Amino acid sequence: MNLAIPTPDLRCRSISGLWLRHAVSFLRYWKFAIMWVLIEPVIMLVAVGFGVGKLVGEMEDGVSYAEFVTPGLIVGNAMFHALFETSWNAYSRMDNNVYETALTTPITISEIAMGDILWAVTRSVMTVSGTAIFAALFGWLNHPEAIGLLIPAIMVGITFGTLGFLFSTVAPHTTFLTLVFTLVATPMFFFSGSFFPVTILPDSVEPIAWAMPLTSAVHIGRGFALASLDMSHLWAALYLIAITAVLWPIAIFLLRRKLIK
Amino acid sequence: MTEESDQNNGAPLNMDGSVIQATDIRKLYGDHVAVDGITFSVQPGETYGLLGPNGAGKTTSMRMLSGLSPVNSGSINVAGIDVVKDNRAVREVMGVVTQHDGLDSGLTVFQNLFLHGFLAGLARKDSKNRANDVLEFFGLRDRSKDNTYELSGGMKRRLAIARSMMTSPKVIVMDEPSPGLDPQSRNRVWEELAVLKDAGVTVLLSTHYMEEATILCDRLSIMDNGKILDEGTPDQMIERHAPKEVGQLRVAPASLRTVREYLSNREISFREVGALVSVTRVNGDRPDLSGLSDVEGVRISYRAGNLEDVFLSITGRELREE
Repeated sequence: MNLAIPTPDLRCRSISGLWLRHAVSFLRYWKFAIMWVLIEPVIMLVAVGFGVGKLVGEMEDGVSYAEFVTPGLIVGNAMFHALFETSWNAYSRMDNNVYETALTTPITISEIAMGDILWAVTRSVMTVSGTAIFAALFGWLNHPEAIGLLIPAIMVGITFGTLGFLFSTVAPHTTFLTLVFTLVATPMFFFSGSFFPVTILPDSVEPIAWAMPLTSAVHIGRGFALASLDMSHLWAALYLIAITAVLWPIAIFLLRRKLIK
Repeated sequence: MTEESDQNNGAPLNMDGSVIQATDIRKLYGDHVAVDGITFSVQPGETYGLLGPNGAGKTTSMRMLSGLSPVNSGSINVAGIDVVKDNRAVREVMGVVTQHDGLDSGLTVFQNLFLHGFLAGLARKDSKNRANDVLEFFGLRDRSKDNTYELSGGMKRRLAIARSMMTSPKVIVMDEPSPGLDPQSRNRVWEELAVLKDAGVTVLLSTHYMEEATILCDRLSIMDNGKILDEGTPDQMIERHAPKEVGQLRVAPASLRTVREYLSNREISFREVGALVSVTRVNGDRPDLSGLSDVEGVRISYRAGNLEDVFLSITGRELREE
């Protein structure tokens, strides 16, 4: 049985077929989808950008707080989408035998994971681009390099899409899945440099903040948004790739254990 | 490994001419032996049944045959494919109806079929056309835009079978054709399976309903505790293991003692299921119950031996666990 090992004969239709299933299912409720993908992050952006921005004033190098926080919020919000897709939604698909049915077609476990992660990437890209357009209209994204926010959008989709499976595959019930937010998403969202530079954290805590994958993603996003890219952004990207390379075999192992009996 | 044959609508067969061939397959879950070395084969166009109670190993066997569960030992060939080596290839030629309907509640009836066909490899246009054809065939055309959770149990089951037909497979594996369905819906499912059989589709099904096995299967195996106990056509099995006639007594509670004493005194074996007392005589013909016909609250009827009696006589237990 080689259901779990990524083989060279990857079947594209398995991946695109599962992706299409998710897209169709998502678009059936597009009015709600707009709420999560666009309205929610824009509300957050407006509240923090205008509200908190008024209090904070200017950051380093003449950057307004709104400009500083925009990439942080956009990338942080994308993390929620990617994580939610492969934790809560994937759990519900396991519960409703969606994967069991899919497995009656010539699909492998790796292809299931890839199809789901591709959809997580799609959601991440959708919410990042939509929110970024609003941010640009508010005057908070002022560099053409900001188009590069798509890169952390894709990376967040892949890394957190993979991470989500570590929860959905071991969760005995949905209550367990709330840990995704209390243990992973919420602390990362607030301590990964989205709202304030991690450099202001105590020296002993700062490395912990950098260990969290969202910190690297936010760092990359801010590099593009403020047109301030340097080598540190490359290291951040490599760190995310390394994290994903470690998570991937674990996710596949767990998914296989869950779906193949 | 394969040879073309007209017998199976042009689909390849195994070397011995069968469509499904399982040889001594075993499956362990920890210390528990779920399937304990079963061997059987299914011929082209045949409907073959695995009959047994819940926990007999039927579902595990079907999952192994359709490449969804690895075997611990043994070999499986389906349409010339070595399933143990290539579990992906078998899923290209086989339609599978899982025990739970496995319908996608996030999608409409039509989308369930179309997206399944697309995932399985059909071109978008072909999958759409096929979905419409299949909906027509299964009488679900006017429900195509509905959510699956709005369907009745019978319709859900038919949709699950319809889905397995999306890729026009020559062989389908069906775990329980009609679990928990009312008699009318069950009849409808049976009718559609009969049409598939007429079209030359080879079917392997599992069931714990004796009546279903009798009506649908050309041949069947009786399974219990992971083993096949005997195999044959339903008639052969009844001939071999069941009494010709079984007396059935509906007994009012007040008369139960009288009946028990009567039967015990004459050394007639009987078993009680609720208020129904079944009286069998394996070697004789009709058991003599004449002395009971006058007892108040007792209704006597006779029926032919069936697969339920076969199971009882082979295992000493009831097929249906009440």
